[in-house]
Amino acid sequence: MNSLTIVWIALPFFLGFVVYLIPRLDRYLALATGLASATYALLLFLAASPLRLQLLDQFGVTLLLDSLSGYFILTNALVTMAVVLYCWSSDKTAFFYAQLIILHGSVNAAFACTDFISLYVALEVSGIAASLLIAYPRTDRSIWVALRYLFVSNTAMLFYLVGAVLVYQSSHTFSFVGLRQAPPEALALIFMGLLVKGGVFVSGLWLPLTHSESETPVSAMLSGAVVKAGVYPLVRAALEVEELDPLIRSFGVGTALLGVAYAVFEKDTKRMLAFHTVSQLGFILAAPEVGGFYALTHGLVKSALFLIAGSLPSRSLKDLQHQPIDARIWLALAVASFSISGFPLLSGFGAKVLTMQSLASWQVIAMNLAALGTAISFAKFIFLPSGGEQAVKPGFWLALGLLLGGLVAANLVYIEAYTVANIIKPLAIIAAGWLLYWLLFRRLTVKLPRLLEQFDHLIGVMSLSLVLLFWMVLA
Amino acid sequence: MLEAFVLITIICGFFGIIFKKNLLMKIISMDVMSTGVVAYYVLIAARSGLFTPILADFSAASPASPVAYADPVPQAVILTAIVIGFSIQALMLVGVMKLSHDNPTLEISQVELNNTP
Repeated sequence: MNSLTIVWIALPFFLGFVVYLIPRLDRYLALATGLASATYALLLFLAASPLRLQLLDQFGVTLLLDSLSGYFILTNALVTMAVVLYCWSSDKTAFFYAQLIILHGSVNAAFACTDFISLYVALEVSGIAASLLIAYPRTDRSIWVALRYLFVSNTAMLFYLVGAVLVYQSSHTFSFVGLRQAPPEALALIFMGLLVKGGVFVSGLWLPLTHSESETPVSAMLSGAVVKAGVYPLVRAALEVEELDPLIRSFGVGTALLGVAYAVFEKDTKRMLAFHTVSQLGFILAAPEVGGFYALTHGLVKSALFLIAGSLPSRSLKDLQHQPIDARIWLALAVASFSISGFPLLSGFGAKVLTMQSLASWQVIAMNLAALGTAISFAKFIFLPSGGEQAVKPGFWLALGLLLGGLVAANLVYIEAYTVANIIKPLAIIAAGWLLYWLLFRRLTVKLPRLLEQFDHLIGVMSLSLVLLFWMVLA
Repeated sequence: MLEAFVLITIICGFFGIIFKKNLLMKIISMDVMSTGVVAYYVLIAARSGLFTPILADFSAASPASPVAYADPVPQAVILTAIVIGFSIQALMLVGVMKLSHDNPTLEISQVELNNTP
């Protein structure tokens, strides 16, 4: 298993360069990378004990692979495969697939490592590959969005690096367990970097514009897999160092509420999905010990939703209400929306129940409020009129079949969730959400200011969140 | 003292990113900031001593005092970060070159106005 792990980590980077040498094989190689990761994740679930690898000494690379990382890796694999299938008959060049494979590999590496420097390298590589994918259309707007993304994430990672060396100074190791003896300023700096990278809470407001202005397959990849590379280390840190658990949970709650508060008022499909990603990352952080399963269901459903949103005739929800969409697309949209609202028979239900059960008592009200907001925002999709006719890309149904099939299959992971009390609660939340939607939110037009999404404010908020984190760690 | 200067460099770079209006100047500010971070790593590596950590037979020369080696780990680590930092810088400058065709002044407010929906 040890050498298999090393081969699995190195494979995407190797194949990414092979694509340049043999451009004709591009999509096959990309699909093969995804398949390899999916197989490896399944092997991880079957393995009896977590795999710990320490290369070199205590200051070297440390890897930890268990079922938690297995969920994240499986998410990444399925999303990548779906994106490749979606792009199969498009005219994307080998460059696109090469960047996709390298992005997949770097996100995998972030899910495997438990030391700050390997994580830094993995996150920076994923940032570069992601921004190249965003800039793929080469329009001015896409270049600006990519540049903004790279700038924000690189500035955050500089703070993170300072934090990492402070951890090293206090415990002579870069491993996550070094956080225990680390001074508060090191914790604040590292968490600030990861919060920005993962798009969490106030410092994560770069995410909506980036995810909504990218091309459809790229936004699916970013929202489904790449943001989780920033969230996973936070989850892992909460599990390895118990003292940090309340801090991470409180950020989870804040993020869930912030994202949903924006999503409820948003009238643009892709922006709503992006804000909703922010809120769902909060759900992952709110209950770190079950975050893996939640990440899997969210990754599947969100990339499916982005692929569907890219096939709708318009991005404005107002236009879509007067323009019937294809019945089959509507069905797929409804299945995905039901899953994310936590409707039984789909894996979103199991994930929500599991998360709600592992919440601390002070989180319960806020998280139920966030779940209600989810139901409200997805009622906008469910009540769209159907009946029109539309052509979709040839790979669309294959990709959706993979993602939605995964949603139904993942349902079996937590079959014990199906008790009467568990089923009634989400149904009540969904009913309340729909009621609120019909009575209130359907007619409401509130335009929230986008001031905080401006570049200068994004950077400025970083310093504020640094101060906030510092006080939270000291407290 | 040295540590204070290094931290001031980092903060100066950060304020440059916020307060400079020109996109190119913002990128240069980011470079200043990353220079500060690199210097901080070197400073921490030099806590235990200043000698280059090359294994050699020093015991014959001065048997009484052991050689105060610098810590090699932060230096090795920051090499990676330098390479990543400069490749990101290069990529960003290419992006700025492309943007400057349609936004010749590269004022951030102008670029943002033209390119956000």
